[in-house]
Amino acid sequence: MGLFTPIFVAFCASLAHSQLDFEFPKNGHTNNWAVLVDTSRFWFNYRHVANVLSIYRSVKRLGIPDSQIILMIADDMACNPRNPRPATVFNNANQHINVYGDDVEVDYRGYEVTVENFVRLLTGRLPPGTPRSKQLLTDEGSNVLIYLTGHGGDGFLKFQDSEEITSQEMADALEQMWQKQRYHEIFFMIDTCQAASMYERFYSPNILAVGSSLVGEDSLSHHVDSSIGVYIIDRYTFFALEFLENVDQHTKKTMGEFLNVCPKRVCISTVGVRRDLFARNPHQVPITDFFGSVRPVEVISNVTLVPLVTNETKTKPVAQPTKKYRYIPPLVNFNSIV
Amino acid sequence: MFLPTLLVLIFSPFGVLTSKPDKFTEELFIKPLYSDQLYVHFHFATKWDTNPEQETFRHTHIFPRALGEIVERYNVQELHVSLTGGLWRYETWGYPILDAAPGAEVWAWFKDTTEDVDQNWKLLASSLSGLLCASLNFIDKANSIRPEYTFKPKGVFSGSNLNSSFVRYSSLPREIVCTENLTPWKKLLPCESKSGLASLLNSGYIHNTRYHSVAIHMRPVCRDSSCEFVSLELQQTVSLVYDYLILGTKNWSFRKLFGQGLMGRCPLAETSTIYIDTTSNTSVPFQLTPSPDDYVTSIRGGHVNTFAKYVVRPYAMSLNANFLGKESVLLNAPPSLHANQYITGYGQERGGIVTKIYNNHWSHLDVVVLQNIPWYVPIYLHTLKIEVNGLEAEPLKIRYIPGRQRERPYHLELLLKLPARSVTSVSVDFDYVFLKWQEYPPDANHGFYIGSAIISANLPLARNFTGLPQDGSTIADSFNASRSGYLVQVRTENMVITLPTPDFSMPYNVICLACTVVALAFGPLHNITTKRLVLTVKDNEKLIVKIKNKIVKVLTDRRGGEEKQSVQ
Repeated sequence: MGLFTPIFVAFCASLAHSQLDFEFPKNGHTNNWAVLVDTSRFWFNYRHVANVLSIYRSVKRLGIPDSQIILMIADDMACNPRNPRPATVFNNANQHINVYGDDVEVDYRGYEVTVENFVRLLTGRLPPGTPRSKQLLTDEGSNVLIYLTGHGGDGFLKFQDSEEITSQEMADALEQMWQKQRYHEIFFMIDTCQAASMYERFYSPNILAVGSSLVGEDSLSHHVDSSIGVYIIDRYTFFALEFLENVDQHTKKTMGEFLNVCPKRVCISTVGVRRDLFARNPHQVPITDFFGSVRPVEVISNVTLVPLVTNETKTKPVAQPTKKYRYIPPLVNFNSIV
Repeated sequence: MFLPTLLVLIFSPFGVLTSKPDKFTEELFIKPLYSDQLYVHFHFATKWDTNPEQETFRHTHIFPRALGEIVERYNVQELHVSLTGGLWRYETWGYPILDAAPGAEVWAWFKDTTEDVDQNWKLLASSLSGLLCASLNFIDKANSIRPEYTFKPKGVFSGSNLNSSFVRYSSLPREIVCTENLTPWKKLLPCESKSGLASLLNSGYIHNTRYHSVAIHMRPVCRDSSCEFVSLELQQTVSLVYDYLILGTKNWSFRKLFGQGLMGRCPLAETSTIYIDTTSNTSVPFQLTPSPDDYVTSIRGGHVNTFAKYVVRPYAMSLNANFLGKESVLLNAPPSLHANQYITGYGQERGGIVTKIYNNHWSHLDVVVLQNIPWYVPIYLHTLKIEVNGLEAEPLKIRYIPGRQRERPYHLELLLKLPARSVTSVSVDFDYVFLKWQEYPPDANHGFYIGSAIISANLPLARNFTGLPQDGSTIADSFNASRSGYLVQVRTENMVITLPTPDFSMPYNVICLACTVVALAFGPLHNITTKRLVLTVKDNEKLIVKIKNKIVKVLTDRRGGEEKQSVQ
């Protein structure tokens, strides 16, 4: 017996060691989340919905499950009566990619897309009774992709043409997330006019930020679809989607490459990047760190499956009916009233 | 998945061991409507032999656990949710299998052990919003009512008398319905959309219809005819009305309607059946290929209907209907009861709501009219006017609960006796009110919605009626189901009113204007009141003399200053 004990202990130790390795992968994050927000209402802002759905499509395709994607869309474009092709949102006039897809799940929609809900979502200060699909249940091992699109200006982003979030509020919300250990790293992506102004005030660590235009510049849309009569997508997101469409789960592409998807000659605006808060070199960060999903899978060999014991003979005593059940007539008896 | 068989083994009263406690059936019902439309109704029913009062929903087999958990948590006895795009046209289409108002509609009965019904109702709606990706979380006390007569429990009831404080009803008429609602709905089905009839539900096709409605109905039902035990029933339905104009042809097929054929049945379904109403075949003949497995004749409430029946087998199939050329013009007698609703008045001060109810039946009909009017549309009960064929009439009973601003909507329920072949109009006046600045939605100029009125009646005849009997859960149960009355709950149109909407740039304008006025008024006033007018001698000195004087003055000043310093 005494001889066996050390061996057993050694075995346990190695098991514990491998367990630790498994729980803390080398790049440091254990799960991926995405918060994708379209802040614009009204039909002429079709392109913003197409923007956010492009990113939604990509992160879903690269492995982030719907339960870990919070999608906020301020207006209904797919089933809008003005849409000649119901239940679709396309990324270009040739209808190459239906970014809306057949199994989309929108978590916040219409009037629910407000600054308050957005900040509450990020900071986790939601009212009681909020369903899980409307919560950002991140932890200190979460890599979070935050994508915003809409109409912005120097230092603010408009929500639904009625309110706005300032860059300072945005920065404070992220700081609160950091203090509450709600993220490991954040990739902040924004496609709006003067986008760079939104991340200028950030002061929390581990944030890589990219914006479609510098302060003083407008972000431009890509092209018009004459069948819907409005611009269909914005330039920066169009080229980002084009890049992401060629990425699969086993890709070797890096965030560094992603930051260069839209050079000035195609984007017309200058894509701004802020990397001083981010400790790693983006050229060594796989793109799947933010756009894909970590699915810790342990391959176990030599497993004997225990058959499910079905105890057919075990029966409950016959429940005696204690109550009298009946259907109620669906309408009140008028004769009893008169 | 295998656990329910372990846990729930209940003997039926006859001592036969029921091995499967739950049963799932899928049905597709297709009916050509009179006015160039095609009614397509998917009906998925799950019946679970468990006692809903004791069920914890820890282990479920076919019943969706996600829904079960919500039902258990909030003490729900009965739940009805529908999300609808478009309006069901009763006058030309007849009656649907399940009535639904445009937008979102939720009503629920809570168990009589519930302590705070309002709180549970709010949390239930919030959870459902997560389950169905709809904005149902906007449902709260301020837009919910407790209908006394309209929404009796559809399922079984064990208590002695009903207490309407356990029922809640609310509607969100503005709610849109799109793929994002269908996706989670499909995930509640045992086969999801991977196989079976649900695989036909392709969003691109089903949202290209005149009317589409997605619904969930959960209630306790009798397990058998003796009704000593209770089962839990879940009906999940999708109703669609295709327009031949949008389809481009009258000859429909699965490929035209859904974009694909059927790839077999859901393996978990007990039965998988397609019924096609061929009653109209005598006047507008069409041929079905392949030919049906069977024909079912149903005599119900004095009306004979024939249905072509297809049993879905575990292999691929498609279905085509070809209309044969010779077409006779159909005269559709409008159904016994239908209704309209509209707004009257002009200007932005006072308006009125009129509900017109048409009784085309040869004898009188007893109806209940329910109006749920938002708090920002204050109605006046003294203006309530009921006119039958132009003559004023009295209701049998009025239940009216006045609304309270930001707390409770106006709830009006009327019991009316409609004379034979009559048009009854119920009208009530309201005021347009101002909201608080922050209460206006971002698109306030779009208008504010008032939900449908609901007119409930037990029709004596089953003409144009397709609904299920109260004790039935499948479409097959509605065949030959003659009853003393056929319940219809007609939903009217939603209404949009334009509340007086302020100009939201007004504060900015006011600030600009006010500042200008202040600047213009304050400047001269300040000058007049603070400056003293002093007479000065007009000097005609030359420039050189001026400079000289200045230098002298500076020099003398400095000297004086030094003197002062030395003094200190």
